[in-house]
Amino acid sequence: MEGGGGASYQRFPVVKVRETKDDYLKFELRGTDASVANALRRVMIAEVPTIAIDLVEIEVNSSVLNDEFIAHRLGLVPLTSDRAMSMRFSRDCDACDGDGQCEFCSVEFHLRAKCMTDQTLDVTSKDLISSDHTVVPVDFSDALADDSAEQKGITIVKLRRGQELRLRAIARKGIGKDHAKWSPAATVTFMYEPEIHINEDLVETLSLEEKQSWVESSPTKVFDINPNTEQVLVVDPEAYTYDEEVIKKAEAMGKPGLVEIYAKEDSFIFTVESTGAIKASQLVLNAIDVLKQKLDAVRLSEDTVEADDQFGELGAHMRGG
Amino acid sequence: MGATKADAADYGALRELFRHHIESFDHLVDRGLETMLDKIKPVQIFDPSSDKTLKIWFAKPEVYQPQKEGSSKTSHDALLPFECRQAKTSYAGKFVVHLYFQYDDKVAVHEKFNFGHLPIMLKSKLCYLNGADPQKLVSWKEESSEMGGYFILNGLERVVRLLILPKRNYPMSMVRNSFRDRREGYTDKAVVIRCVREDQSSVTVKLYYLQNGSARLGFWIQAREYLLPVGVVLKALIDTNDHEIYSSLTSCYSEKYGRGKGVVGNQLVSERAKIILDELRDLTLFTRRQCLQHIGEHFQPVMDGLENESFISVASAVLQDYIFVHLNNNYDKFNLLIFMVQKLFSLIDQTSSPDNPDSLQNQEVLLPGHLITIYLKDKLEDWLQKAKKLLQDELKNKAKNFDFSSLAHVKKVMDKNPGRQIGSAIENMLKTGRLVTQSGLDLQQRAGYTVQAERLNFLRFLSHFRAVHRGASFAGLRTTSVRKLLPESWGFLCPVHTPDGEPCGLLNHMTCTCRITSFFDSKGNFRDFVKIRTSILNVLIGIGMTPSLPKIVQAGPPDVLSVLLDGRVVGSIPSAEVEKAVSYLRRLKLSTTSGIPDDLEVGYVPLSFGGAYPGLYLFTNPSRFARPVRNISAPVDGSQNIELIGPFEQVFMEIRCPDGGDGGRRNEFPATHEEIHPTGMLSVVANLTPWSDHNQSPRNMYQCQMAKQTMAFSSQAIHFRADQKLYHLQTPQTPIVRTGAYTKYCIDEFPTGTNAIVAVLAYSGYDMEDAMILNKSSVERGMFHGQIYQTETIDLSEQSSKSDREQRMFRRSNTDKSAHPWIDSDGLPYVGQMIRPNEPYCSVYNEVTTTTKNHLRKGSESAIVDYVAVDTKTKKGLQKANIRFRHPRNPVIGDKFSSRHGQKGVCSQLWPDVDMPFSGITGMRPDLIINPHAFPSRMTIAMLLESIAAKVGSLDGEFVDATPFASSTKKANGEEKSESELLVDQIGAKLRKKGFNYHGVEVLYSGVYGTELTCEIFIGPVYYQRLRHMVSDKFQASSLHWNSRPGHTPAHQRKKTRWRHPIWGDGTRFHGCTRGGVFIAR
Repeated sequence: MEGGGGASYQRFPVVKVRETKDDYLKFELRGTDASVANALRRVMIAEVPTIAIDLVEIEVNSSVLNDEFIAHRLGLVPLTSDRAMSMRFSRDCDACDGDGQCEFCSVEFHLRAKCMTDQTLDVTSKDLISSDHTVVPVDFSDALADDSAEQKGITIVKLRRGQELRLRAIARKGIGKDHAKWSPAATVTFMYEPEIHINEDLVETLSLEEKQSWVESSPTKVFDINPNTEQVLVVDPEAYTYDEEVIKKAEAMGKPGLVEIYAKEDSFIFTVESTGAIKASQLVLNAIDVLKQKLDAVRLSEDTVEADDQFGELGAHMRGG
Repeated sequence: MGATKADAADYGALRELFRHHIESFDHLVDRGLETMLDKIKPVQIFDPSSDKTLKIWFAKPEVYQPQKEGSSKTSHDALLPFECRQAKTSYAGKFVVHLYFQYDDKVAVHEKFNFGHLPIMLKSKLCYLNGADPQKLVSWKEESSEMGGYFILNGLERVVRLLILPKRNYPMSMVRNSFRDRREGYTDKAVVIRCVREDQSSVTVKLYYLQNGSARLGFWIQAREYLLPVGVVLKALIDTNDHEIYSSLTSCYSEKYGRGKGVVGNQLVSERAKIILDELRDLTLFTRRQCLQHIGEHFQPVMDGLENESFISVASAVLQDYIFVHLNNNYDKFNLLIFMVQKLFSLIDQTSSPDNPDSLQNQEVLLPGHLITIYLKDKLEDWLQKAKKLLQDELKNKAKNFDFSSLAHVKKVMDKNPGRQIGSAIENMLKTGRLVTQSGLDLQQRAGYTVQAERLNFLRFLSHFRAVHRGASFAGLRTTSVRKLLPESWGFLCPVHTPDGEPCGLLNHMTCTCRITSFFDSKGNFRDFVKIRTSILNVLIGIGMTPSLPKIVQAGPPDVLSVLLDGRVVGSIPSAEVEKAVSYLRRLKLSTTSGIPDDLEVGYVPLSFGGAYPGLYLFTNPSRFARPVRNISAPVDGSQNIELIGPFEQVFMEIRCPDGGDGGRRNEFPATHEEIHPTGMLSVVANLTPWSDHNQSPRNMYQCQMAKQTMAFSSQAIHFRADQKLYHLQTPQTPIVRTGAYTKYCIDEFPTGTNAIVAVLAYSGYDMEDAMILNKSSVERGMFHGQIYQTETIDLSEQSSKSDREQRMFRRSNTDKSAHPWIDSDGLPYVGQMIRPNEPYCSVYNEVTTTTKNHLRKGSESAIVDYVAVDTKTKKGLQKANIRFRHPRNPVIGDKFSSRHGQKGVCSQLWPDVDMPFSGITGMRPDLIINPHAFPSRMTIAMLLESIAAKVGSLDGEFVDATPFASSTKKANGEEKSESELLVDQIGAKLRKKGFNYHGVEVLYSGVYGTELTCEIFIGPVYYQRLRHMVSDKFQASSLHWNSRPGHTPAHQRKKTRWRHPIWGDGTRFHGCTRGGVFIAR
């Protein structure tokens, strides 16, 4: 490493999408290391912008929940945020001098509900009237709804006869780092791809019952036995949770080295679940964008230029050399 | 709404916990007042000029339901409890007593006298809420589960604390050094009996032993103890002679038994009897008449109202009013005194052991209704005496316009002595918990009878009604003996639920199955004790008891045993027959038709070598402890084998645990009874700790304390409450891992915490020393969010002096518009408005000075106006307003949290979600991180169990039953063996089935680096409570008292000693930091 001169550390990561739904994505990330994978995870959770209700002006609230509680619940309602990347943060907005109520940095919502009957009225996210048709509360009803009449959105509060809720809300762009309501990700996680080698010779020394008990020692179904050949097979290596149960079991049976399991240092299997604010696939793309912007910010900052002399090749590496 | 019907049935178990309070008050209004008035002696005023005697006495009390002080007299508007809470008034009903006046032997005339207002207990028979269904309760702005049992006084809810008293009507042998100091020649031994009249007032009589072999009877009249030679009393009670007394006293000694089992007398008894009789001779008292004369002569000066009576009638008054007041018949008194002398001699000769006054065996409880009765009696007696004095003064002054024979004139004089103060005296007693009395009412303490029923959370509220205090006088005692956990209290008092520290062991809590006997039977019918006693007597005679008759001398142990029924020697039973008799009586207790009450206490003290004094002691009286056990010796007919037993009899019974074993008693002492469930020995709060049988016991104690300090869902009717301070958890959950008690006592109506995903690992260093890391995103999503509600009451009529009362009103200034953003034109704040420090929240206009005064918010914290309530019922316009503020209390660094296993910790960081460790498989990040060092020394295994069990429960979508001692309830014969395997193995197998690690650990990745953590991490959901100690409150407090130096606690706060729970051996006191430094928090 030292004195290597212009040795390049550049790698060419590969992404292979395995499964995709609106709010779910599973993909492989190969040819990079944990730092990049984790950076991607962290950005997806905390730094991809979305739009969420940030200011609530309550006109009438005679419901059982207090004003802050309702404001808090409204904030947590996911809003469709495809516009978020192009929107401005209200703190950076020139159009409205930072008061955060212009069309470039905010979306206005209205909610008016009053219960007039003896039937309890559920005020839901469907009752939020948006001033911008692209930014609306996320609709979950389309996804394989068995009976769509049941899908009423997210309940905000319940009203009984005579109770009323009237408010104006302002939604703004933000990131999950500031408040969890702006996080577009329900879950983002990755695991190292496992590499499993069974020592076939040693396995053959086991009886069928021993094989059976060894296979069953793993709480997840990683191994199985071929009913015909009585051979132990790896059926689903990714089900392995790195719990080392099978290795411990092998040792307990007096057959250490029955199986060897490595984590591939450079391949990751990502699972992304979105709140619905943006599509899971878009979430990954946005995350990469954000990550690029962050790197740009580092690369372009004057400090980096000054530090070039100090860090030498590292600076070059950052510039993509 | 369909669920309400089912809920109503469920509240039954909850209501049972409060029943003793309500029943005692019900008795007060039903019969108690009447019996009490009967017992107040009439006063007689003699006018020498007209030679007329006026006799005045009380009768026919009437207590009305609380009513609004009406604008018109005809309309009677019901005053509901919630109105009292809001208006800060008292929930009290009119109290009227008929006063009878009788001149000489003419016809008595009666007249109603108003005695003010008597506070009414909620849910008692006089309360509107009595018998209301949940729907009705909700419409009256109460909890749907409202249980009552407390009083509302000036808007505050106060509950009468249950106090331990010596068991009534049972002669107890005691050894106390203070007896020696009575007078010269006294020893430290005595037999003491607390006699209770039908009206619940009591007189304690002590029988002291003298060094010369004689005995003295001591009793208190007006704060002074009087001592009488026992022989004088014996002879004064009935017509008898020396020989009869001698043979009665010596009946307990028979030469043929020597020093065998159960022998209580020896030859010294006859010597002592001779000494007692010699004393009489020395005083030259030979006949009953002489004895009465002797007593009368000495007591005439201290007996009020008997100044002009003969000595003999004074003496009989003394005997009636001060000696064995629970008995009406002098023969009974004589027999009891003989019994007590025999017990005393046996104590001296060490043929029987002293009774322990600290043991629950010899204790009962003071109930709210009884306390009020005796205090009211004292006050009414005083009032009558004062009225008499006023009349006599009037006669003495020979006022011209006063005609003694005119009732109108008499009443006019008596009106100088206002009756209303009686009602307010009771109210003040309940408000302050302080007794203002000359006589002391035979009670040990003057203050601390009531406490505020705080609704900090439901468990704290509930515990106030289950708490039993040993008495304030014991708190200052340096000895630890009173604080000890004695085996006698098994099943009655919870061994776990007592506070740590100063009141440790003095403030106990009743177990969930423990109840207090009352004047009402289980169906709510009034008990006729005369009838009950006769039927018991008939049964006893039927099974071989020789009834005690005058002049018949009975033998003593070990031949026969004396039978005492409610402190009356009713006869004797051959000791060979007694066991059969006892089991027969117990069988009759189970039957509903026998006329024997189900809570009869059959205290059979068997013959022994120097043990407790033998005898058969039966008790039917109210205010005893009782608990249900299963009688397995009686033939089973249906489910009719649940017997109520008391602490006195329990000591001599064989009760086994329902685990199918024999508890090591083998065949010599076969079990006759069986516990219903082992959790019956725990209080309600202790029963809420899941798998508490897997925890180290002090941890369960800490949890009992912390459960009561939890910021929880304190009230369903929170919108209608005006408490000074109310804590409220915004998003509570019901625990996944729960005990049977949660469902039984409807705890889900008032949940106390949240199921948090807890990871046990050392991460970032911010979880050292019981600190814990909260996930910032979890908190932002609402975890542990909460508020404090605080009410300010502004009462214009109260604050001002009389002169300018009419001139003040709520109004905002029209000229000065500076307050307009906060205050509406009515002078009150806008609801929902945030008020910052030093901003106005209401303004008051004074018409005289034409100035407007703004009330400014104090403190350093802004609050939101939650609710404004005004009292519109007054004629003078708006004078009273309640303004309720809401302080947001979302978790911040420094707030305190705890699991249900005595594991409390302080939040040290709100850690970003992305930095938290995460699971590669599920993507789960913990809500909370605690340090693994919290476990080894504390051994809270149940918390680990809870974590993995909750994991299984949440995977299955089902609640997990974590009732403690579940393995001790199985029958040895039935059910397969696999059930008895370890709990961990059951849970572990289920976890594995779901694809998780058997031991509940998971592989986590560092949130910061994305690399696998080198250890597998124990992670799972644990129910966490948020404690009320919050930084925001403390910070406020310290900023107010800025001059108090940090690190210097004020002198009165510093504790000299710390008390640990007596379960820890001797309850040794330890000083300061002997445990290894003040920095280690438990």
